[in-house]
Amino acid sequence: MERNKVRDTIERIVETIFLLSALVGVVSVIAIIVFVFYKGLHPFFGEQAYPFLDFITGTKWAPGEGTYGILHMIVASIVATCGAIVVGVPIGLLTAVFLSEIADERLVKIIRPAVELLAGIPSVLYGVFGVGVIVPAILKITPQVQGQSILAVMIVLTIMILPTIITLSETALRAVPDRYREASLGLGASPIQTIFCATIPAAKSGILSAAVLGVGRAIGETMAVMLVAGNPESGMLSSIWDQIRPLTTNIAIEMGYASGQQQEMLFATGVVLFIFIMIVNLIMITITKKAGNE
Amino acid sequence: MRKNQKIKDGILSSCIYASAAFTVCILVFIIGFIFVKGIPKINGHFLTAAYDDETAYVIAETIPEENRASDKNLLSEIGVYYDLEDDGVSMKVTDFTADSTAKDVTNMNGEGEKISKGDLITSIEPNDANHVRIKVTKVGGGIMPMMVSTLFLVVLSLLIAAPVGILSAIYLNEYAKPGRLLTIIRFAIQNLSGIPSIIYGLFGALVFVQMLGMQYSILAGALTISIILLPTMISTTEESLKAIPKGIRESSLGLGATKLQTTLRVVVPNALPGILVAVILSIGRIVGESAALLLTAGTVAAIPNALTGEGAAAATLTIKAYTILKETGDVSTSCGIGVVLIVLIILLNLASKAVTARFMKKQG
Repeated sequence: MERNKVRDTIERIVETIFLLSALVGVVSVIAIIVFVFYKGLHPFFGEQAYPFLDFITGTKWAPGEGTYGILHMIVASIVATCGAIVVGVPIGLLTAVFLSEIADERLVKIIRPAVELLAGIPSVLYGVFGVGVIVPAILKITPQVQGQSILAVMIVLTIMILPTIITLSETALRAVPDRYREASLGLGASPIQTIFCATIPAAKSGILSAAVLGVGRAIGETMAVMLVAGNPESGMLSSIWDQIRPLTTNIAIEMGYASGQQQEMLFATGVVLFIFIMIVNLIMITITKKAGNE
Repeated sequence: MRKNQKIKDGILSSCIYASAAFTVCILVFIIGFIFVKGIPKINGHFLTAAYDDETAYVIAETIPEENRASDKNLLSEIGVYYDLEDDGVSMKVTDFTADSTAKDVTNMNGEGEKISKGDLITSIEPNDANHVRIKVTKVGGGIMPMMVSTLFLVVLSLLIAAPVGILSAIYLNEYAKPGRLLTIIRFAIQNLSGIPSIIYGLFGALVFVQMLGMQYSILAGALTISIILLPTMISTTEESLKAIPKGIRESSLGLGATKLQTTLRVVVPNALPGILVAVILSIGRIVGESAALLLTAGTVAAIPNALTGEGAAAATLTIKAYTILKETGDVSTSCGIGVVLIVLIILLNLASKAVTARFMKKQG
């Protein structure tokens, strides 16, 4: 009896330890949100509040003068992400189609590790590739004096989101039951028609979540983008040859030496980025839930 | 109609082939670029030397006058052969005589040092009757400190993240009952995985670096990365726990084992390969991480000598690849680091494949 009591206590203690570990994740999320938002919203309240509207609609970032506008960065982040998605999703999806519907096992065995490797390459190296190859190439055709541009950012991001899109789309396509394909083929559709009219629509939600995850990855990417974007402090984007400073690189560049209000403004930039990511996450969760219900 | 369809099919299928070809080509191109630019950089010195030049005065005993050999390009008082550098002053150490005293010298703090091949001697003057004072420069340009820092960071981060992640997964899969708590935990973890690493960096810079006073340090970096690792760690471990058939647990419980005994003696051992894969994947993630580290661990190219505070800042391989490129525009050195990184990633991928394959085989 006595032994069982000791044993029960140990069981309970250990279970509590397990529970506490599981709560670390929850605490982390809450802490990140609370700290980043507290620090980031701080400059907009109190005596010397910076007008929030100026922050969100300003196109000039000049910490030296105490001017902090980030509209141009928001636009840059969104446009660059859209560009990457518009090109990256079709290429990624079609590669996934190739892997799951067309290629034979041998070819898949070569391409899939290649995609995995592409996913594993550190993002800095994509930046190195951008600086070494993409920027010089753009320099040859750009009307401007530098190759760093939103075009370079888009190209780098397109490459970087490919593995995410391919892997998730392929999983979604493979999950489509064979009877869908058989039914379509049986009705006289060609194999290509079957892919585009039966298989892809059936895998719709998986492909959509792949695209959304790609958006998340592209909008949050920092190091590779920082190397090819040029990062000017101010100025609205007007052509694909223009240099940009996305939200992420604004934080990464200035955080090392910023203090006081400037540092708080970087956190405010982080808050804006965070809100974008939260929207992306919510869309993601909605899609997966919907797919689960179906 | 039929013909139209054929043309359409043709176009679409060539799009598919083109896309797949594009993906493969881009990979080959990236890897090819980094290897072609980087491989010429890789040599013994690059892999073993410090990054910065280090210049110091050392005191060496002189060889007794009567034993000194005389030869071309020989510093006879300490028995060192040299090549004169282009500047006409620096002497690059190429070899030692048998009785050379240069391998056992003391620095200005009285600590033992040694002069090695490749070091530059820029001046040598008498110190006292039988000692000389030599100004030596250990030539930098290597990535040793960054490799060591990366290793430190991997070990530290795993020490923090692995226990927490694995225990979390055990709780979620073995203990938790469906309900609000479980929903909250899952929701949190799902959200955690979507946060970009620069936000983690901001958080780490605020909480660990500033508020907890760790300064730019390897521990601040490791703590930040540990949070980044949690979601993958948890979900990969959970997958392997889920794969264990219910029957195994039930038989253990039926034999009178407690829940804890069942978990530790039956469930975890069976899930070990999966947990190992989770750890390997995490190593890859740590090695490749950069944005969060830039804001928490700093960019100092030296081996850290403390966990926090002064002397604890450290640049990992990825951070150095970035700063070199940013500050000097030196693509080839960054590519040299890139080669090391890619080789590491490939090895980790192969390791995780090997573990999974063995696991599958065992399961049948």
